[in-house]
Amino acid sequence: MRLGVLYSGGKDSTLALMKAKEHHEIVCLICIVSENKESFMFHTPNIDMTLLQSQAMELPLVRVTTKGEKEEELRDLRKAIEEAKRRYKIEGIVTGAVRSTYQASRIQLICHELGLWCFNPLWLKDQVELLNEVVDKKIYAIIGGIFAEPLDEKYLGAAIDKQMIEALAKIASSHHINPAGEGGEIETTVLDAPVFKKKIVIKEHEMQYANFNGVYNIIDAELVGK
Amino acid sequence: MILIISTCKEKLSELEFVRPIENTVKNFVTKHYEELSQEDIDSADRIILTGTALKDFDYLEHDFSWLLKTDKPVLGICAGMQIIAKEFQIPLVTFVTIGPRQVETVAENNLAKGTFNAYFLHTKTAVEGFKTLAMTNGKPCMIKHPDKEIYGCIFHPEVMNEDIIRRFVRT
Repeated sequence: MRLGVLYSGGKDSTLALMKAKEHHEIVCLICIVSENKESFMFHTPNIDMTLLQSQAMELPLVRVTTKGEKEEELRDLRKAIEEAKRRYKIEGIVTGAVRSTYQASRIQLICHELGLWCFNPLWLKDQVELLNEVVDKKIYAIIGGIFAEPLDEKYLGAAIDKQMIEALAKIASSHHINPAGEGGEIETTVLDAPVFKKKIVIKEHEMQYANFNGVYNIIDAELVGK
Repeated sequence: MILIISTCKEKLSELEFVRPIENTVKNFVTKHYEELSQEDIDSADRIILTGTALKDFDYLEHDFSWLLKTDKPVLGICAGMQIIAKEFQIPLVTFVTIGPRQVETVAENNLAKGTFNAYFLHTKTAVEGFKTLAMTNGKPCMIKHPDKEIYGCIFHPEVMNEDIIRRFVRT
């Protein structure tokens, strides 16, 4: 089946892509850029990295910008998926949805209306298990945003590795957060993965942080050979 | 031993519809319906028929007539409920529900009670026949064979109501 991946550039959509690729042909990435920082569906730091990530995977990118008002962003998502269907003849969509019934049901509805299959290979996956699989599958992701106490600036830009998983699992049990950031506590940016033919090297970045809210903004980056 | 029967045409869908059920029960064996033998059914204590992707209807072409003869407790989830309905000649109607909805229990039963939210993902359902255990938006969403322990659940209990699966496994 020819599939398009709803791709944010983070660990979940990269892992979902890799799982889907074991069974089907991935023909494009679909990326929604939201201008609304409060967006329920699409706000992601370093969303522009998807431009380099799509080049690294040698996959075309369907990129749609949305103002991010609740209903409007769903219309824009539908437009993006329609565009992917028209241009790349996709028969289905892959998402990295884990727990959000809000997100998953809206994408399911759009796929239903457009006659597309919808695959959510990470659905209901245990969060620590998910993080371990990211590391085991050699997806190299850094923390691009933190949005919950007690996550502070020392986490920004740090790699998701076994040590980090241990730390996040500990925090998750002492505070009410999801260790893999499913509730938006953590956003990640993938710099390398086995599906990348080149890897991303960060040349310049800036950090913004206050009160357990912060982003690691990649200002300049390039693809280098592996 | 719990026999989990996958109704998924696509292997990739099993991560979404079968794996979460495997994570909820202990001591299980999973088989796809196309690989199922009479021996698998005979050696099971209880049987769960899973759901599958919204666009998948291949399972409706398959023969599940063993359901008419079995005395094993069966829980059919979404596609699984549609299979039960088909085998017991309960008509399926096109009715799309996607997302969380409120469910109201209308008959005392072993699996669910009271009012709760559940996750729906279906385009077809059975609206008559069997005993109605629970309703959503005026339509049956949990049904039971009048005499046997054969249950149909059109919503996905593995998403928001794992207790329903645990109770089925235990009772």
